[in-house]
Amino acid sequence: MKRFLETGNFAITEGAILAGCRFFAGYPITPATELAEAMSYRLPQEGGVYLQAEDECAACHMCVGASLGGYKAMTATSGPGFILYADPIGWALGCETPLVILNSGRVGPVSGITGAPGQGEFYLMRYPTQGGNFETICLAPNSAQECMAMVVEAFYLSERFRMPVMVLADQLITDGFEDITVPETEEEMKEMGFRTWPRKVCQGPEFYPFTDELDIPPVVLGHNTGGICSDWTPTVEGYDIEEVEAHHKHAYRLIYKVRNHRDLFNHHYEEKFVDDADLIVVSFGSPSRVVNTAVEKARAQGMKVGSLRLINIWPFPDELFHRKAKYLAVELTWDGQLVREVQRAVPKDSEVHFLGTCGDLPTTPDLLESFEKLLKNEPLSRKGWVLEAW
Amino acid sequence: MEYKSSRLTSTYLRARKIPSTACSGCGLGMNHKIVVQAIDELGLETKDIVWGTSIGCAGRQTFATWKGDGFAGTHGRAYAIARGLRIALPPEKKILLTVGDGDAFGIGLLHLIHAARCNADMTVIVNDNLGYQSTGGQYGWTTPQGAHTDSSPYGMFEHNLMSEGMDVLHILKGAGATFLARHVAMDGAVAVETVKKAILNRGFSLVHMPYPCPTNFAARELGSRNQVNIYRWIQRQAAPLGQEKEDTVWATGIWHDASNSRREFHEEIHATIDKIRRTGSL
Repeated sequence: MKRFLETGNFAITEGAILAGCRFFAGYPITPATELAEAMSYRLPQEGGVYLQAEDECAACHMCVGASLGGYKAMTATSGPGFILYADPIGWALGCETPLVILNSGRVGPVSGITGAPGQGEFYLMRYPTQGGNFETICLAPNSAQECMAMVVEAFYLSERFRMPVMVLADQLITDGFEDITVPETEEEMKEMGFRTWPRKVCQGPEFYPFTDELDIPPVVLGHNTGGICSDWTPTVEGYDIEEVEAHHKHAYRLIYKVRNHRDLFNHHYEEKFVDDADLIVVSFGSPSRVVNTAVEKARAQGMKVGSLRLINIWPFPDELFHRKAKYLAVELTWDGQLVREVQRAVPKDSEVHFLGTCGDLPTTPDLLESFEKLLKNEPLSRKGWVLEAW
Repeated sequence: MEYKSSRLTSTYLRARKIPSTACSGCGLGMNHKIVVQAIDELGLETKDIVWGTSIGCAGRQTFATWKGDGFAGTHGRAYAIARGLRIALPPEKKILLTVGDGDAFGIGLLHLIHAARCNADMTVIVNDNLGYQSTGGQYGWTTPQGAHTDSSPYGMFEHNLMSEGMDVLHILKGAGATFLARHVAMDGAVAVETVKKAILNRGFSLVHMPYPCPTNFAARELGSRNQVNIYRWIQRQAAPLGQEKEDTVWATGIWHDASNSRREFHEEIHATIDKIRRTGSL
């Protein structure tokens, strides 16, 4: 193993290479630019290809094309680029093409603030394209080291589910320097819990079986299997068809191959002191690190506070919200996105509160004050335009 | 009625998709046949080609007709997809794209230009039915000036990529395409020879092939769905390069042939990477 003091972008690059990624296409955008730069430097050393695209739409389409040609491929961007991925993500979901997509969240809407963290694409990661009728898998690490692990995991899942798998990070995580350990051998990878899955080739003639089964290899072109894929509703063989029943079956596969195999990834979360907690703080990504500190301090002060940190954010892990307690969602949005899912998932009549910020992390004293008030059944402070209501 | 398949169709095309679901009298089949004939005359087999298509009449009607591997991409993005695929596929596998005019010259023009820029080995056949016909018949970017369509009821008056001095083939030549040609669907054997050259170019080739749409375009512009009228209308306004007349819209033949003059994309990228890997620098 090798240790580095490096950025999340570095960790992601090394993770992707460990997972077998040999194709990256991207478009410069803060704060994901350094990842593209790192890929342009590292991939050729490993015999991989880095391509700079004319826009994000092309970048992601080139990755899907490379994946259809048999490469493990990845692209990365931030919010304003991620919306241009809508087109290729939809295509990759429908064609069931493996791909890893990283979104490093900044502050929106539109270009917003480029060099600060945000989590405003929480819902966009669930609904990244039009049309509905699909599930998505999204992992949200909170450190550089975990970025590496989750990128490796995303490649693993994308092959087994044969679909694009997304990683949602944020500016602090991808740009921040941290202590990073990179495994050098397969044994070391296993030791660190890294799983990999080789690319296989679907031999057909049933390229799009109507089943929720895992491990059906993806369509790979150029092997003369007669493999076909398109943007239309497919028949089992992959022909385009305008038929409601066929579409229903296709949608069943896209939805239930994920929903029925969540055990493959729903262990990605972290709980702390939740068993006897009166207040459970829910968070993911960079704010969860402040939450962690605040919860530890609160416990030291005798407050019965616990932390539930989500890593697998989509499909949303409803089952983690079975405890009757007060919940507080801490997230980097002013409009409140995570809190809506928490409100939906908690047991009936549970209190759910919202503490949002954006572009900056909440502070430990702020969090401690909020914990104290909620435990005393007092409303959260309202400082001018900072409202709890969402 | 029994469909009698020819040797060409039974060798290269899938019975399920032939005959196609195109409108009666559609000229797309003529373009399709020109391309398959060229493939056959070059002695290529289904395993030698990955066939890509896109959205619209041309894309949908040709998707999955090829017996080998194939894809239908999102609207206008087949050229970006094909670039990624080009990197991944072995260089001897050919990529052939049959797309429409709206796809290539409208929504996909940026990606098309960049595919030409990097001279990615692919043959793009732009099947031009003079507008957006699968959505009912709106004008496109190569619709002849003055033509009446559903979205140009007074006649097409905007400058477009067929206007004097603004030909889309000039744009693509400037962008670095190494083979460019134009033929109308009725050019038959001459067009087959051109498509053969396009396929043999190890680099970016594009053949622009206007074809007749009796159902939507002709109904609006000529007031007739009689196929003969639209076929004649196109033929009358087409002439070989150098023999253009006053009313020529489509100058046909090979516009630009710089075949194999510049290193192809896949080769360029992989050779460069090999060198970086060996020596650590360019």
